[in-house]
Amino acid sequence: MPIDWDPIWLTLRLAGITTLLLLLIGVPLAGWLALSRFRLKPVVEALISLPLVLPPSVVGFYLLLAFSPTSAFGAWLLQTVNLQLVFSFEGLVVASLLYSLPFMVHPIQAGLENLPASWREASYTLGQSPVRTLFRVLLPNCKPALLTGIVLTFAHTIGEFGLVLMIGGNLPGQTRVASIAIYDEVELLHFDTAHIYAALLLGLSFAILLLVYGINKRVTV
Amino acid sequence: MIHIDVLLPRLFAEGATELQVQVTLESGGLTALVGPSGSGKTTLLRLLAGLETPRSGRITIDEAVWFDKKQGINLPPRQRAIGYVFQDTALFPNMTVRENITYAAPNDQLMFVNELIEGTGLEPFVDQKPGRLSGGQRQRVALARALVRRPQLLLLDEPFAALDTQSSQQLQQVLVKLHQRWQTTTLLVSHHDADVQALADRVIRLVEGHIQTDELIGDRPLNPLIQECITQIEYDENQQRWVVETTNSRVQSANPAWGQFKVGDRVQLAGITQGMKR
Repeated sequence: MPIDWDPIWLTLRLAGITTLLLLLIGVPLAGWLALSRFRLKPVVEALISLPLVLPPSVVGFYLLLAFSPTSAFGAWLLQTVNLQLVFSFEGLVVASLLYSLPFMVHPIQAGLENLPASWREASYTLGQSPVRTLFRVLLPNCKPALLTGIVLTFAHTIGEFGLVLMIGGNLPGQTRVASIAIYDEVELLHFDTAHIYAALLLGLSFAILLLVYGINKRVTV
Repeated sequence: MIHIDVLLPRLFAEGATELQVQVTLESGGLTALVGPSGSGKTTLLRLLAGLETPRSGRITIDEAVWFDKKQGINLPPRQRAIGYVFQDTALFPNMTVRENITYAAPNDQLMFVNELIEGTGLEPFVDQKPGRLSGGQRQRVALARALVRRPQLLLLDEPFAALDTQSSQQLQQVLVKLHQRWQTTTLLVSHHDADVQALADRVIRLVEGHIQTDELIGDRPLNPLIQECITQIEYDENQQRWVVETTNSRVQSANPAWGQFKVGDRVQLAGITQGMKR
């Protein structure tokens, strides 16, 4: 039986784009959380962490309501930038950004918080700004945390199922990622095809984790 | 001239609940801050650096106001002209010795960077990362890095604490040489009397967050133009010393010449054995 590679490529594309965008968003956010004494910081931390404790279907349900063209936000997006986030690849990316945010932010924030405070303070007493301190001193010294954030985000996005199903449905070539494809094939009793997709995800996930632990060991030794 | 008047709530072991320090540091002087562990020495350095904020008070250096609670002024550390050598050196492990020193150097100060590297004897190690250096070498890098912006106030937090005798003496020599060359006003926290005697021209003893004694030592005049009014003078029989309090200082001295002074006299604090005036 010929294998449809589209779900695999779509999954990798979704995970790649999500990871890249989350790196751009997550690093400054983690830096701010680690360095700031903002009084409402716990509120922001709780919001970021929500996807860790909520069932994906709950997150997906509320995003579905928010992105729907019948909602004010969804209608505004459709009218102003002609963007429909429900049942589209763009919607999957936005949903993945929200759902995988803690997987990028938490490791980097923890890595930054574990660095000696004197490094940050030394940079400040040398006349440097918090932003320059973050990028020149702190981030280069927590590479393992950065790598962990990148890989966890990538791996977590690859494995998304409930959220993707709620927001994206099952449109071949657009929203039918590997995890959905496995579910589909099992429903159709195509166990051989499901097995191939599942084995590919298993191997990929294991290879990624192996790479992380290997690199982290080299970086920290 | 640096005027310090700070109050910070802090619980000390013996029950004191606040750190309260009022002191004036002469420009170009090297003052040692001594006292038992937990007496507030490092906290005072951090207050001066802006790493902690006093509840009230005022910190001025020459004409610049770094902190003034009443006026709502509190400059962040990066806007204060300070150099801070941390007890753990706080060198950045991802940078070489030269990169650590040039990290904060203005672009037109490369000659000065080279001068500092030469002055601290770091030429053989400039391309090495801090992790490969000895404790004494790391302290010298931290000292050079702290001086690279030509600070008005140099704060040294126990720079000799983790060094053996030889490394400590080497660092002292470097410190004296750099201090003589640039006359940066320096506040040194140290537990070691030998370091204090070798380096400082004034010793302030901090106990439970308050200044217990403030002594000038040796014959190194701080600012011969400053006269201070005696507010209290008495002879301590137990310590066989005169205890003299002025408007800004508290001096202890075994010099019998203090016997001719009384409250209200003006003295020129240019060293205990010389320069006293009636």
